[in-house]
Amino acid sequence: MNINPDELIIYQLGWFQINATILVTWIIMAFLVIGSWLVTRRLTSEGPLTRGQNLLEVLVTMITEQIEEVSRQTPGPYLPFIGTLFIFIAVANLLSVVPGYIPPTSSLSTTTALAISVFIAVPVFGITRHSLKHYAKQYLQPTFFMLPFNIIGEISRTLALAVRLYGNIMSGTIIVAILLTITPLFFPVIMQVLGLLTGLIQAYIFAILAMVYIASASKAHQKIEDKGE
Amino acid sequence: MIINWYTVFFQIINFIALVFLLRRYLYGPIIESMAARESKIIEREEAAAKIASEAVAQGLDYKQKVTTLQDRDAEVLAKVKENAEIESRQLLAKAREQVDETHKRWHEAVAREQESFIHNLRSQVGRQACRIAKQCLKELADEKLETMIWAIFPRKLQELSPEEKNKLQKAFDGAQKVLLRSTFKPTEEKLQELTVNLSEIFGKKVQLTQQTSTDLICGVELEVGGYRIAWSVIEYLSEMEKEILEHLHKSGNKKGTADA
Repeated sequence: MNINPDELIIYQLGWFQINATILVTWIIMAFLVIGSWLVTRRLTSEGPLTRGQNLLEVLVTMITEQIEEVSRQTPGPYLPFIGTLFIFIAVANLLSVVPGYIPPTSSLSTTTALAISVFIAVPVFGITRHSLKHYAKQYLQPTFFMLPFNIIGEISRTLALAVRLYGNIMSGTIIVAILLTITPLFFPVIMQVLGLLTGLIQAYIFAILAMVYIASASKAHQKIEDKGE
Repeated sequence: MIINWYTVFFQIINFIALVFLLRRYLYGPIIESMAARESKIIEREEAAAKIASEAVAQGLDYKQKVTTLQDRDAEVLAKVKENAEIESRQLLAKAREQVDETHKRWHEAVAREQESFIHNLRSQVGRQACRIAKQCLKELADEKLETMIWAIFPRKLQELSPEEKNKLQKAFDGAQKVLLRSTFKPTEEKLQELTVNLSEIFGKKVQLTQQTSTDLICGVELEVGGYRIAWSVIEYLSEMEKEILEHLHKSGNKKGTADA
């Protein structure tokens, strides 16, 4: 059984190729951006709100509150990154109710890309918030000998982040596929519903973990700075 | 290989692009809109709080005004009551005065009426008594009343007490004139007789002047230098008047008590 969307080539011109993962991702991106633009082009700060504005405000408020709760910091700088992670993964997973749809998150390449993004974002936010020197000191804590272990910890958690999402979504897709062959009528529907829940939970877990990593890095630096002072 | 690094690279680019696109079209506008609404709500809340505080201040002001007005009302009412009380007392006193005055006037009028009535009665009774006496004397004794009076008067003079005679003498010494007033005019003989009698009493010649007066009512009066000796029905009538007045007073008092 081959359900890896990376291997499903849609278009190829020389080395340039567009596989199902990339295409579906673009579709999701277009859906999100166009949907957002359609809603936000007619925003109002007075009177009754439109349904779209209400939905987006609820979503943004919820994400902001979660970021604030986890990081205990101003959510403003983290909102675009964490919010996009959650929205993208959630939409990608929820669209799996559409027949024939293969979620890009069932591709290890996508989850790896997202995990690498988090892997990069952690030092970027840490350095932006403080400085490179202070951030680098974190890897030497508590002693210089802990540097390899700290680096391994960073890589392993990035790997875990990628594999967790991939494993959950891919397994869901595989289970549905297997069940379709065994009991084609009833169980796949239940598993599909369960898959929606799993997808949403995974989006939440991924975004929250990313926020925890970023926030812990910022806080650790903060502690080092406090000690230094 | 399960990881397609070409796809990974594309997905990283896609994700970064999505972050920036959503920042431009989703988070930015939504956050701005919410912030604008929040600031408007805060403004409204501040305005409402200001209006509420103004309303509270105005409420307190009105409450104070109402209290002041109530106090003033009570003061005015008390003053009006006091004035009304004073006015009432004054009017009552005035009414009492008027009633007393009327009562007094009425009493005076009654007294005057009484006096006038008594006076008339005395005159009438005297005249009637004289007329009856004259009639009786004429019919029973064939004598005139005036004759009897002139017969008795010299005797009365003779019967005067020494003390009275002494007073009369003293008065005569000062005046030397004697006035004789009577209801009936005496005859010349009687007048001569009286002059002689008086000259004997005073021990000097007397110049007697006679005057007729209806006021005396059946009587004779002798006036010497402010001293007066009289004999007439008036004295009896005065006694009778006194008794009638006393009787009337008693009747009046009894009626007054019964009315009260």
